[in-house]
Amino acid sequence: MSLLKVSHVTKRFGGLTAVDDLSFDVHEGSIKAVIGPNGAGKSTLFNLLTGFDRADSGAATFLGGDLLGRRPDTVVRRGVARTFQNTQLFEELTAHENVLVGVEPSLRAGFVRSALRIGIRAEERDARERADHILRLLDIERWRDVIAADIPHGVRRSVEIARALATGPQVLLLDEPAAGLNGAETQSLAAALYRIRDHGATIVVVEHDMGLVMEVSEEILVLDRGRKIAEGPPLLIQKDVAVIEAYLGEEVEDDDV
Amino acid sequence: MKRSMGVAAWMALVAVIGAVPLLTDDRYLLKVLVFVGINVIIVSGLALLFGYAGQISLGHAAFVGIGAYASAYVTSGLGLPWLVGVLAGTTLAAIGGLLLAMPSLRLRGHYLAMATLGFNEIMYVIFREARAVTGGNDGLSGIPFPEVLGVRMDTPASIYLLVWGTALVVVFLVANIVRGRPGRAMRGLHGSEIGALACGVDVARLKIRTFAVSAGLAGLAGTLYAHAVGFVAPSTFSLEQSVVLLAIVVVGGTGSLAGPVIASIALTLLPYADALIPGLGKDVIAFLQDWEADIYGIAMIVVVVLAPKGIGGLIRAARSRSRAEETG
Repeated sequence: MSLLKVSHVTKRFGGLTAVDDLSFDVHEGSIKAVIGPNGAGKSTLFNLLTGFDRADSGAATFLGGDLLGRRPDTVVRRGVARTFQNTQLFEELTAHENVLVGVEPSLRAGFVRSALRIGIRAEERDARERADHILRLLDIERWRDVIAADIPHGVRRSVEIARALATGPQVLLLDEPAAGLNGAETQSLAAALYRIRDHGATIVVVEHDMGLVMEVSEEILVLDRGRKIAEGPPLLIQKDVAVIEAYLGEEVEDDDV
Repeated sequence: MKRSMGVAAWMALVAVIGAVPLLTDDRYLLKVLVFVGINVIIVSGLALLFGYAGQISLGHAAFVGIGAYASAYVTSGLGLPWLVGVLAGTTLAAIGGLLLAMPSLRLRGHYLAMATLGFNEIMYVIFREARAVTGGNDGLSGIPFPEVLGVRMDTPASIYLLVWGTALVVVFLVANIVRGRPGRAMRGLHGSEIGALACGVDVARLKIRTFAVSAGLAGLAGTLYAHAVGFVAPSTFSLEQSVVLLAIVVVGGTGSLAGPVIASIALTLLPYADALIPGLGKDVIAFLQDWEADIYGIAMIVVVVLAPKGIGGLIRAARSRSRAEETG
């Protein structure tokens, strides 16, 4: 069943069309990868879906409503969370505190109740337990009390995923989660993605690491200059001529030098 | 364990503060301590806004002024009870905070600093020119002493107890806010506004509320000032005072409440050191008062260079060191 339905979304920056009449579906409980060369519009797509940027036209239907044009915090509260290509952690906060801010959408206590400490003990305790649970799910509980600024790069990505997961999303959008990870870290990321999916979240992942993409995704969407040039299961995408030309063709040669 | 220690610390604080007027009847010392208590209230609110939420304000002296003038006018101008003046001053300052929150929704860093600085200057002009209400450059005098249920607080000791009682309650409430959900959201906003939005934090609402609470506390302090001193004049609420308040929070450290409270006590006492040390020479006091702004400036530079996280950072470091020693 389609959980998120993107239809005819277009975004222009001046003369550049970053996302061009793009339509695709994300099925509930699946892991979908979005690939394409740099500048293909992948991050822009995430920004449009999560309210960090405004689409010029089109719609993104999620749970019977349109996601586009809403504020980022509203999108999160509706159940679509994300991470960023450049991690946006709270550097002075510990891993546990970072994840605790992620629990925000499910908390009720405002200024008055917090100041007077009226009926917030259970809520605070549950929030802390939930944050600990998520740290364990991502296997980063040993970084619990370390501030983000002191956490190594590979783990920082996991902390950001944990924080996004803490918001209780139905759809989790991950922007290049494997960037900068070594082989072992990428493997444990793959395992974490399966755990998250089994936990009940549908995943859309923008990724350049083809090994990871081929391993975890059930479906791949290929973008080039804002357009969809292919969509399908990994095995078919690997053989697609348009994909090889647009994505693998020149880039692979350049990268191999 | 942790909780009972917290309660013990609060009770010790109450005991110390309550004991002061029993131990001394030095009017000068009590008056100085009243100023210290008033600054503790203002700085608690500014620590919330700047230290936790990361929203700069160079307009906080203006909020103090709004509270002071509003309460003075309501009581001595309109003849209404003291408590009405306090409520009016606090509320009006909080409303001013709501207005000043508007630019914070669009502006960051230096630009927000400029906007809030402009606000302070505008209010300063109003304090000087709206003579019918503020008395212009001459200010307002003859502001009545605080009076609740027929009890007039006209002695230094009673005003001291009123101000410090209020300061204790304010610090307690702000401490609860910063360790609860709003405080976490503020620290998140401070670290990364994008990250906070991605966590579902309603950033606009959080900024507006934090500005309002912070300005309201400054206004409350202003009302206490007006009735404690009995006289208000524009120069007390100048931009320079806003800079001093911000300097206190920087020295105290961001992301900390204890640090700024300690800094506000130390830096407010400094120019009146002779109240604590009776033998201190007149020339020393003259020096401290003449060079007050420079001393604050140097304190700020020292903190930025040697301990960028301020007094609060030093407290945290000491705590984690003692925790590490405990666990071996």
